[in-house]
Parts: sequence; structure tokens; C-alpha cells
Amino acid sequence: MSTISIQHLSKSYGKFLAVDDVTVEIPSGSVFGLLGPNGAGKTTTFKCLLGLARASSGEVRFDGKPLTPDLFESITYVPERSVLYEWMNGAEHLEMQRRTFKRYDTARAKQLMDRFQLDPRKRVRAMSKGMRSALAIVMSFSIHPETLVLDEPTSGLDPVNQRAVLNLIIEAAAQGATVVLSSHQIGQVERAADHIAVLKDGKVILAGAVDDLKSDRKIVEGIFPSETIAVDGLRRDARIERLDQSGRILRLTVTANGGGLAETLSTMGAQSVRIVDLNLEDIFLNAVAPGSQTADVVEAR
Amino acid sequence: MPAVFTVDPRSGVPIYLQLIEQVKRSVALGVLAPGEQLPTVKQLAVDLTVNPNTVARAYRDLERDAVIETAPGRGSFVRADGVANQAGAAADVAAEAVTRAVREAKSLGLSSAAVRKLFDSALTRWFPEEK
Repeated sequence: MSTISIQHLSKSYGKFLAVDDVTVEIPSGSVFGLLGPNGAGKTTTFKCLLGLARASSGEVRFDGKPLTPDLFESITYVPERSVLYEWMNGAEHLEMQRRTFKRYDTARAKQLMDRFQLDPRKRVRAMSKGMRSALAIVMSFSIHPETLVLDEPTSGLDPVNQRAVLNLIIEAAAQGATVVLSSHQIGQVERAADHIAVLKDGKVILAGAVDDLKSDRKIVEGIFPSETIAVDGLRRDARIERLDQSGRILRLTVTANGGGLAETLSTMGAQSVRIVDLNLEDIFLNAVAPGSQTADVVEAR
Repeated sequence: MPAVFTVDPRSGVPIYLQLIEQVKRSVALGVLAPGEQLPTVKQLAVDLTVNPNTVARAYRDLERDAVIETAPGRGSFVRADGVANQAGAAADVAAEAVTRAVREAKSLGLSSAAVRKLFDSALTRWFPEEK
């Protein structure tokens, strides 16, 4: 239940800079989605956040304080790759959890095992990928965590269990927990998260509240009478993130709600102007697309 | 719960705005009666599988617009002094529908005169007694 503040975090492995000057503020009680293509630095960021990897520079603070062992009691981490023991069964994993965490709740663990239809006597060796993911989730939520760091928590799960995990996250957030999660399933992040950051090549290229990003970013599309469109005046416009012309169609990806650009295109002689809402996937794909000016726009603010 | 809300998280319209629109519509149509209790933030967040802060934001805006009121520890209710506010809520919903219709007509290349003509014929059709 802490505000997590990541400041100027960098991490290099030899010459490879995995995380490059990341600064992110994760408000207490929010669900924060970390998005990015493979290799963007999400997992490394999580590891530095939890002290599992030593940052090359920068720092992470929980409510203004560095991470201390007592905080670990209420933090749960579901890593991207399962850390379960092949030769142990579900019940033994929960026993391990009980011995490690004072907050472990036996009744809660049982309820979660039932919710995911897991057999406590089944050995991990005999479990499917989905069952392994589910067991890792059961272990995490059995301690009523206040801070959750979830790296691809729904991978390998069927749609019913994916929804069950999202609802566990939402219930935890409703009780005030702070959740940081990564997922390639942007639709899930769109439901569960209130804030996101997009990482690319180790850098934050876009960050904000999901609803604000959606309100802010639109496509303004104009159809002109001829292919000769006087776009020069638009090139320097700070509200325009992308400008694509294909024949008589001019498509602007805009920020600040397009602030009057639909009217501008009308004045420029467009016969038809359309404003298209963007969902999170569109916004994400625009941000990581080559040639996007997003990074510049963010820096210019 | 009498009113079942639905949201489309994949839409480009922010979820909190979708919720506000639906509550206002329900109040305007009397589907939610004055004094009626709304689901708690947590309940609605879990029911819809959406972020609780998003639901809380919708409720805050609905309070600001005098559509609902929240009693600490008891929950959120449709305001009893609703008649005027309901009319306001109805007008809001209608204004959005008209704006959308005009924008779509324009994007199809219609002139303002053509849109006005369509609007007049719709008025004549739905308010025949005023002719």
C-alpha cells in the first residue's frame, strides 16, 4: 500500500543498457500497467524495483523510503518464469508460503485453490503451464499482499482463469493495494490498470492515466478534393504526433484532444472530417511504431 | 441490482465516461429511481472487471453533476431532488446524441443546410402535435 517512486533508474549488463533513465511514479492504491515490446526492459525494471537486481544508477523508493526487509512481508512478486519446484506438490508450496509469511491465510489459500480448481496433491512436474501459473497466483494472493508485482501473471491461463486473476487484482486494488503489472494482453491492462507506462529500448516513451491518454489522443482524418494538400502549416504543430497522407486522405494522430484540428482541416478545404477514438492498443502501437514522435512530445512537455 | 451497466474497455471512449453516460441515461429514463442505491465502487469494479479508481472517478463526477450523492459508510444513491437534475441528465445524454449525429452527417459530406433539413423532418416526425 505504498507509493512506489522509481527515479532515474538505469541498469546495464556489460555494454547493454537494459533500462535507461526510467522515472515513474506509481500512486498508492493504483494498478499500474507496464507495457512494451519484448526486450524493452520490463522484467529488469521489476527486478530492480524489488532489489533482485542492483541498479547501475538511480533509485526506487516505497513511500519515500528504500526497500527494507520488513516491507517484503507484504510484497508479492510473480515472475515471468515460474519458480515452482518440480518435485513438490501444491500443498507443499503453500506450506512453504505459510512458513515464510506471517500474513499467510490458510482459509484464503484453500478458497483460491478451489477457485482455480487445483489439486493440492498434484506435483508441479505433472502440471500444465496454466496450472503452474494458477498455483503461483494462489501463493501470491494467499498472503493478502499490499504491494503486488506481477510479470505476465495471466500467461498460459485459459480465458476463464485470466478473468479470475484480473478480478483478484481488482479486488486487491479496491482494498487499497498497489499493483504493478506487465502483460502483452493490452485488453487486460485496459480493464485493470488506471495508469500505464510504455517502455521501448529501456526508455519510458509514454506514461499517464489510461482514461486521460484515451481522452487526449485521437485520429483526425480529412478527405480533401485533391491530392495537393497544404500540410506545411501542420508540420510544426505540437498537437500533431503523426501525420500520414495517402492520396486525398490526410490522417493526423493528435494529442490534447485534437484541440480544434478537425475545424482546421475543414478550413483547409476538407470535404469530410472524422474524429476517431483510439483504444489503448492503438495508442501503444502508435507509441512503439518506428518514426513516432511520441518521445519528443513527452520530453517537450 | 436493477440497472446493469456494461462497458466496452476496448473502446476509445474512456471507461469512466461510458459509466457516467449510462448512469445518466438510467436516471433520465427512470430505470434508476430517486433514492435508489448504486452498487459500491468495489462491487461494480469486480462485476465489470474494471479498475476501481475508474469507477470511483465516474461516481465523483456524477456527484459533482448532482446526479448521485454518497453518504459515507452507507453508499451512493440517486439524488432525491432528481426532477431538475434528471432533466439535466436527460439533456446531457440528448446533447451528446445530437452532436454525434451532426458530426457523422458532416463526415458524410452533408452541408449544414442539408443537416438542418434532416433535423426539421425528424422534429416533424416525432413532435407531430406541434405542427
